[in-house]
Amino acid sequence: MSNVVEARLLSKWYGEVIGLNNFSIDVPKGITGIVGPNGAGKSTFFKLLTGNIKTNVGHLRVLGEEPWQNPALLSKIGFCPDYDFLPPDLKGREYLHFVAGLHGMDGARTVTRVNDVLGIVSMTKDADRAMGGYSKGMRQRIKIAGALLHEPQLLLLDEPLTGTDPLIRKEIIDLVKDLHKVHGHDVIVSSHVLHEIERMTHQVALIYKGRSVASGDISEIRQLMSDHPHNIVVEGRGLVPLAQMLLTKSYTSSIELRADRLGMFVRVDRPEEFFDSLPELVAGTGCELERVESLDDDLESVFRYLVG
Amino acid sequence: MSFNFIGLRTVAAFSARKLLMNRRWMMVALLGALVALVMGYAATEDGVTMDFASELMVLLLLAFLLPVLSLIYGASMIRNEMDDRSIVQVITAPLDRRISYLGYYIGLVMVLCLLITVVTVIGGAAFLIFSPVRDGGLQLIVTFIALQYLGVMVYSALFLFLGTLMKQPIYLGLIYIFIWEGFVASIPGSIGKVTIRHQLQVVGSELTDFGSWASGDWAVSILALVLVTALLVLAGAFVLRQEEVS
Repeated sequence: MSNVVEARLLSKWYGEVIGLNNFSIDVPKGITGIVGPNGAGKSTFFKLLTGNIKTNVGHLRVLGEEPWQNPALLSKIGFCPDYDFLPPDLKGREYLHFVAGLHGMDGARTVTRVNDVLGIVSMTKDADRAMGGYSKGMRQRIKIAGALLHEPQLLLLDEPLTGTDPLIRKEIIDLVKDLHKVHGHDVIVSSHVLHEIERMTHQVALIYKGRSVASGDISEIRQLMSDHPHNIVVEGRGLVPLAQMLLTKSYTSSIELRADRLGMFVRVDRPEEFFDSLPELVAGTGCELERVESLDDDLESVFRYLVG
Repeated sequence: MSFNFIGLRTVAAFSARKLLMNRRWMMVALLGALVALVMGYAATEDGVTMDFASELMVLLLLAFLLPVLSLIYGASMIRNEMDDRSIVQVITAPLDRRISYLGYYIGLVMVLCLLITVVTVIGGAAFLIFSPVRDGGLQLIVTFIALQYLGVMVYSALFLFLGTLMKQPIYLGLIYIFIWEGFVASIPGSIGKVTIRHQLQVVGSELTDFGSWASGDWAVSILALVLVTALLVLAGAFVLRQEEVS
């Protein structure tokens, strides 16, 4: 089995709201990032993988099995949802023992395993405190510990970095990398921020409006970002000659000069070429630039471009 | 369906703990105090007897406290976990949802039996302390506790099922308790027998000589209550298994 997840033309709708729409993806072993804006369908995908909900249409296999009404499969999956569900009155260690019980674990082996996972997520020191007093980062770690406890083959981490500060984010990113590299788990991790995922893995799938719009190596995704048309705002003095020069270039599709002549919107088909040639054009026309900024240099615009 | 006994035990223990830690215990304490107050005051009436005590306990415990507590705890148990999504931990564990449901049911029954025992002992003690008549009092308290355990079994199954099936189970539960059992059951004829309370009262007639109880075959009533319980638990387990939790 080369892929841990295989989805073909999956559709899931909630009443009149579409969660996933003809969604197809192959997730290989290792770490795979699922990237998409809020509401894109990432959480719906995870709920389908864990059998919390069932597909309306399509074919889904997780570790070679159909997940809906398949509790045996859940012994191979560890799930860490994006929302907070931890009982505040429970201590971290008590919570892990509860999770262990749900997985049919008991006795001395459980005590050892709980200590092991607390060590993996660096929570040994705080394990005997009530979880109501945990920081966001600690809550994420203990949730990950709960997902790890039964040594699953596949870990599903839904937005584990949401709401964490940069320091905690780095620690969680390092932890996710270790979960694969050191502990051998296959990991599917979601985020709405591409560069966060990029720090964990190069294997990425982009999801937008319930559809898988692209998947593969991060460099291919980056290429898509630089290749798609950009709207660029340029501000400064003496922009008219620069606009005239730009109109002669094949990569420029349109220019809209502001009435005050101190700014313009340039739409270019090949942004890389535009940015490469800009210094020469500025020097040649003698204009003074104060601001050059792409309005589309983000994932959202790539998504819009990819889905037309 | 593989049977994960440790998982079942874990769900039962954890859900029972969750119910006990809930702030609803303040309301239970209030209801318990009300029962104790009424029973203590009633015991000071002239010519009070154990028959009177028995009828008072039917009214306060069997007809009111037992179904109301079962509704409050049972209807919200799984529904609240679905609403705040804390059920995710249970449904993403390798535990058949039907087993999980059974765990919730056992946890609910354990907690309600504990609460009912405490309230009945306090209410009964309040009566015995202030009453000049005490013979048979202890036996009456034990009888009512046993009878209510049987009632907890059925009412828990009913309201846990409603809470799993519906988003707003309280309204239907209140209609059942106060309209069906309170009003329809008092209509003369056989329709009044189609209530949990009536069947419990038939069983009660066999357990004690104090008070006036409904007449009927107690063995048939027990069988009917057990059967209804089993059917409701099976139906609830089926509903939870089919339920999509988003």
